[in-house]
Amino acid sequence: MKVVLMDDRHSVWIRIFHWINMVAIMLLIFTGFYIHAPQSFPLFGNMDGARMVHFAMAYVLCFGVVLRVYYAIAAKDAHNIVFNPKKDIPNLPSMMKYYLFMSNSHPDYGKYNPGQKAMYTGWLFMALIQIVTGFILYKPQVAFWANLGDYLGGDIAIRLVHLIVTWLFVLTVLAHVYLDVSEGVPVLKSMFTGKIPRDFHGDQSADKSA
Amino acid sequence: MPTKLSRRDFVRLCAGSAAAISLSGFLVPFIKEAAAAGGPPVIWIQGGSCTGCSISILNTVHPDIEKVITEVIGLHYHPNLSAGAGSLVIDEMYRVAAENSKKFYLVVEGAVPVADDGAYCIIGERNGHHLTFVQAVKELGSQAAGILNFGTCSAYGGFPATPPNPTECKPVKEIVKNVPIVNVPGCPPHPDWMVGTIAHVVLYNELPELDAFGRPTMFFDKIIHDNCQRRQYFDNAIFAKNFGEPGCMLELGCKGPFAHCDSTTRLWNGGTNWCVKAGGVCIGCTEPQFPAWPIYERLPEMPVAPGITATVDQIGGVLAAAAVVGIGGHLAGNIYTGRIGSKKNQDMKEGDE
Repeated sequence: MKVVLMDDRHSVWIRIFHWINMVAIMLLIFTGFYIHAPQSFPLFGNMDGARMVHFAMAYVLCFGVVLRVYYAIAAKDAHNIVFNPKKDIPNLPSMMKYYLFMSNSHPDYGKYNPGQKAMYTGWLFMALIQIVTGFILYKPQVAFWANLGDYLGGDIAIRLVHLIVTWLFVLTVLAHVYLDVSEGVPVLKSMFTGKIPRDFHGDQSADKSA
Repeated sequence: MPTKLSRRDFVRLCAGSAAAISLSGFLVPFIKEAAAAGGPPVIWIQGGSCTGCSISILNTVHPDIEKVITEVIGLHYHPNLSAGAGSLVIDEMYRVAAENSKKFYLVVEGAVPVADDGAYCIIGERNGHHLTFVQAVKELGSQAAGILNFGTCSAYGGFPATPPNPTECKPVKEIVKNVPIVNVPGCPPHPDWMVGTIAHVVLYNELPELDAFGRPTMFFDKIIHDNCQRRQYFDNAIFAKNFGEPGCMLELGCKGPFAHCDSTTRLWNGGTNWCVKAGGVCIGCTEPQFPAWPIYERLPEMPVAPGITATVDQIGGVLAAAAVVGIGGHLAGNIYTGRIGSKKNQDMKEGDE
């Protein structure tokens, strides 16, 4: 049997944070839609449970975001996932050509392509927006959140932003799951095992290792 | 001595207890003493409002309005209650203000229109000239010991300050600075909130404890939703689809989850009823941004094209459907070009990916 050489792709911490945040965000989305409109989205039995899960997962997401950002800085992982306009915007046309089947290959972008970087960086800001607006809605009796909510236009405006960003999460998660799975099962597997076949990404990585 | 209470006695006892529990009624004798010992005078002026707050205070039960204006407060001017009219009472109002500078309390009802030097709200005549509301608020407010904003309009702008707002109505806090302000919002405020706030300042000659939006915490520290009679429906996920049905009215647009006041326990019209008990939704009338939201909908709709609006959920659903279609198209392309599927392994060698 052929021996498949494996490269490390995701450290154990990246995998842990990925799945923690994934569980938190999925549960937040589902409970959130239920809390928003329990009749249009009848996903849970009662409001009590849905709210408890929503608030618990909100704290999980807070810690998940803080730890992921800390890891990105401490492990010098940030350059892999943070969208850098100077470096990444010139790479966008070749990436779009590849996704739109206008070319059969794309250059080596590093760990992630510019589109992925933009999405992951966007998620950081979306999560921060959700955390801030969420606490404004969750803790109206705390003067800090009450004043911040008033400054940002009041609870209805905050609620609207919270819902819109939730929908953005839904749309981007759909794209994320599809694009990663369609790239190949090994990509999905690598988020569990941390490893990816050395020749998976074609010649570029082989050249580098040579 | 009867050992049993007759029904009549029982009812009388209950009414007596209610009167004792009602803060303002309980305080009357003390306030009377304070007023007799020279309590601060009160001046009540009215601008961009519907007079609803004044009507509401007439509905006060414990103590009744007659007692309030004769015994509780030294009310020196009120546009509806003052017997006199014209420059006579306007001059009297200014005289009282000047004599009691930094001692009297100014009650403001209604937002302050400032467009065209306030010409859209003239409350009387002074020295042969129009007296605009903005002028009165500025002149009297700067001399007052404190300003009591009765109603959402004077506290936060309310209806008059809602766009398009051609008269440029503003809340009092943007007109008079450096004077302590108490906001008693509501559309209208409960009579107890108004009488209770006046009673507090007259009795203690200081402002009550206020929350982040200047509202007395004794009336506004509770969230409607937390004490609502229909709360159990919410927890058990029983939601009304139409008015008149049992169930939480969240999806009918109830703003209880973020509205602050004690209507749930205080009740209106002398302890008879309140908004949700009467089958209506909470409209959040005590909140600073009121009425910047649709009353009978959960959230405002978003504009999608000129003259067309849609809910966020409709927009999101359409976009999600579009995303799914896009994913399907891309997947078909992926299979067609052989990026995924059986052809993949052969193509890999040719330098794809």
